[in-house]
Amino acid sequence: MTSSWFQDPTLLAAMLGALLPFVSFVLIMVFTRPYPKVSAAISVASISVSLVCAIFLLSSHWHLEHPIQYAGKWLISGEMYIPFGFLLDELSLLMLTIVAVISFLVQVYSLGYMAGDPGFARYYAFQSLFAWAMMTMSIAPTMLQFYIFWELVGLASYLLIGFYYEKFSASEAGKKAFVMTRAGDIAFFLGLLLVLLNFGNLNVLDMNSVDVTARMSPGLITLSALLVFGGVIGKSAQFPLITWLPDAMEGPTPVSALLHSATMVAAGVYMFARIFPFYSNSASAMAVFLAIGTITMLLASTMAMVTRDIKQVWAYSTVSQLGFMVMGLAAGSYFAGVFHLTTHAGFKALLFLCSGVFIHEYETNDMFEMGRQGGRGLKIPMVCMTIAAAALSGIPFLSGYFSKEAIMGALANMHNPIWLVAGLLGAFLTAYYSFRLIFIILFPSKIEKVHHAEHGGHASGHGHDAHHHAGLYWVMAWPLIILATVTVVLGFFQTPLENFLVGGHHGSGHGGGHHAWLPWVAVGLAVSGIGLAFLEFGRKGASQVGFVERVEPVRALFAERWYMDHFYRLFLDYVIYGIFSNLFTRNDRRVIDGGIDGICRATVGGGWLLSFLQSGMLQYNLMVMFAVLALVALYFFF
Amino acid sequence: MNSVQSLIQPQFLAQVGFVGIVAITFAGALIAVFPRDILYNVLGLIVCLTGVAGIFVYLGSPFVALMELLIYVGAICISIIFAIMLSRPLHLSLPKRRLPKVGLAMGVGAVVFIALSTIIFRTAWEPALMRSNDWSVTTLGKYLLTRYDLVFEAISLVLLVAILGAIVISGYARRSPS
Amino acid sequence: MNSLYTYLFIAALLFSLGIFGVFQRRSLIGMLIAIELMLNAASINFMAFNRFLAPDPIVGQIYALFIMGIAAAEAAIALSIIVAVFRRLRSINIERAQELRG
Repeated sequence: MTSSWFQDPTLLAAMLGALLPFVSFVLIMVFTRPYPKVSAAISVASISVSLVCAIFLLSSHWHLEHPIQYAGKWLISGEMYIPFGFLLDELSLLMLTIVAVISFLVQVYSLGYMAGDPGFARYYAFQSLFAWAMMTMSIAPTMLQFYIFWELVGLASYLLIGFYYEKFSASEAGKKAFVMTRAGDIAFFLGLLLVLLNFGNLNVLDMNSVDVTARMSPGLITLSALLVFGGVIGKSAQFPLITWLPDAMEGPTPVSALLHSATMVAAGVYMFARIFPFYSNSASAMAVFLAIGTITMLLASTMAMVTRDIKQVWAYSTVSQLGFMVMGLAAGSYFAGVFHLTTHAGFKALLFLCSGVFIHEYETNDMFEMGRQGGRGLKIPMVCMTIAAAALSGIPFLSGYFSKEAIMGALANMHNPIWLVAGLLGAFLTAYYSFRLIFIILFPSKIEKVHHAEHGGHASGHGHDAHHHAGLYWVMAWPLIILATVTVVLGFFQTPLENFLVGGHHGSGHGGGHHAWLPWVAVGLAVSGIGLAFLEFGRKGASQVGFVERVEPVRALFAERWYMDHFYRLFLDYVIYGIFSNLFTRNDRRVIDGGIDGICRATVGGGWLLSFLQSGMLQYNLMVMFAVLALVALYFFF
Repeated sequence: MNSVQSLIQPQFLAQVGFVGIVAITFAGALIAVFPRDILYNVLGLIVCLTGVAGIFVYLGSPFVALMELLIYVGAICISIIFAIMLSRPLHLSLPKRRLPKVGLAMGVGAVVFIALSTIIFRTAWEPALMRSNDWSVTTLGKYLLTRYDLVFEAISLVLLVAILGAIVISGYARRSPS
Repeated sequence: MNSLYTYLFIAALLFSLGIFGVFQRRSLIGMLIAIELMLNAASINFMAFNRFLAPDPIVGQIYALFIMGIAAAEAAIALSIIVAVFRRLRSINIERAQELRG
């Protein structure tokens, strides 16, 4: 297979697509860092080729019969055999395409957003690194390769979140993201080891086959599934580890769009979907996942209701939507989760990119400030953002509507109605907080007529500067328009996608007939959420204070993220610093440092002792030599 | 006279001569090693080497004995005396001897001696089966220029290099700062 | 009395005296003299083997001659070194020549 790799267009495309961003990363870091334009050109060119490859792969394998797997031997240890290569099946092809599309659009958008930044070349290098890691992860044939690139994705995200490393909060946020995802990854790795030891294989296809139940006991499967799910919790910011994601908004906004909406955090959900059959072997683990997803979704929605930072709102919304996806998957509907992942990638990237335009324009993250300065003047971003928010809320015939309905259908099929109620409540809250933001920007209580207001269409130019600015504006606007189009039309591809993903024989995941009331209820709740938002923020003379914000303790609770960071702090202070760190410090000081110091002293002392032997006294040296020779002679002749 | 002649047998004379020569050798060796004044040492060495030459005569090779006298006594010892004259002002006080060092040297010497004697007396020395009796200097010269030609030339080269090296070393030493 | 052992014993004694001299002397020339003693002990050995054991009595003599050649070369080099050392240190005391002392 490997000998004819250049004759097989599929493999060629997969290799090109997956490796080119890495080549670009190396090229930029090694050669072209001082030249921002060249670096950006290299990066964008490589991601375009990757995009073409991904689309080629997706279209040429639209009617895929069997998963295609290319693997080279990489690690052989006794019975274990870990290959390295590509696995092309429906899910990985879809994810590859999503990643390529979003990365491409974000990189194009960044041409405008990051223009003139001193770290422009570095930025594109990291973008390439990220694209490489993410794409290779998507098509990994084994969980070990998956894990390696999963960590590389974490590294790239750390670098991008902490991109403005001069800023203290940014580097802190980067560290927080890195460390908190690591906490989940440890569990993930332990789970993988457990599978490897008991099942002897980390191949994705093998893990998804029925062999697992034959070779591992149910308890073991549940345990390893829970452990592996730790990775999802970390990466997708699920319940106990939520708070790194909002903090990670310190990076440049396109980074937020790329990492924290469409790809990196989606990697967690992707992993869930990737070994979905493995998880579904354990019903109790699935129940835990469902609970975690639900808690995450509700918590994050409440947090989003009170924050004033536009990016924070979308960050919380991302967390909540990820929780929603986990709910869908855990409810047993593979297609619903993946479909929502796809649509969410589109409209959430759109939301972030739109917010990026506002932030770029008004240099503030505060939505009230944006509204006051005339945010509605920016027509294209405003329209696009409204479309995306509507999709997020599940307004009919936008992409979000279809995917949300799919998940709702899956939830409705559960025996316990509480999940459905939670899901519907989440939908209501989602609609409320997203349109709260829209209305605050759209209908500010008072508009300050500052010069920013003219920027809308850039009708009155400020000479060359404004002209240049307009160019950048359109560089940023085009990805928005493309994504908005995707958001509008993607929902209508539900049936083909479903056929592609689950092969049609599964039947549709959500019951169409016996839950006919469900779409009406969901849409009704979404509309009422929007209505409530309009009443409080949109109508003339509205107080612009939400119903939650009127009750101070609740507002504080939500704004402080349910005091989760305080719990982390306490945990860190008492458990980690108080016990472990202390012990390790002692071990370090006494045992390790002492040992090394002892070795040093022994060496110096030994050298000092030995130096007496080298007295410079030729005769003593000779004497010893002869004495030894004579003794050797005596030894041999006696 | 007859009785004296019978008393002094050639065999006996040879024995006495041998003992005398060995005594001379060791006396010379002791003088060469022990006194602190180097000049005495050289004179002792000369005496000792003369004794060794006598031993060579007893071992059946007057030619080698003569060469010994010529080269060792005539050349090496004289050059050592020259070196002493060049290097050490005789009026300076002699370095004191340190007893521990002498003791140590004696110990090592004794150990070596014991080891050597052990080897000598524990080895069963076997003479060769076929032994020729040709001791003539003519044969020696023939051998040197035929069978041992290469060794002969090598030793000549070594001597040449040594002489050149000696000149170079003392030449450099003259130029070195001191 | 006139046997191989006698000669070997004489040589061994001479050699040990040489070793003692080499170790005990402080002046380089004294050491050189002691080394000459050791070399002579070696040639006595060769001549003794030549006389009592060797198939061809020429070989030992040739060895003895070569040893003399080597001794001459060695003496030449050693003396020039001694002169050089004396020029440098104003002494031929071996215990002063210890710049390598640890």
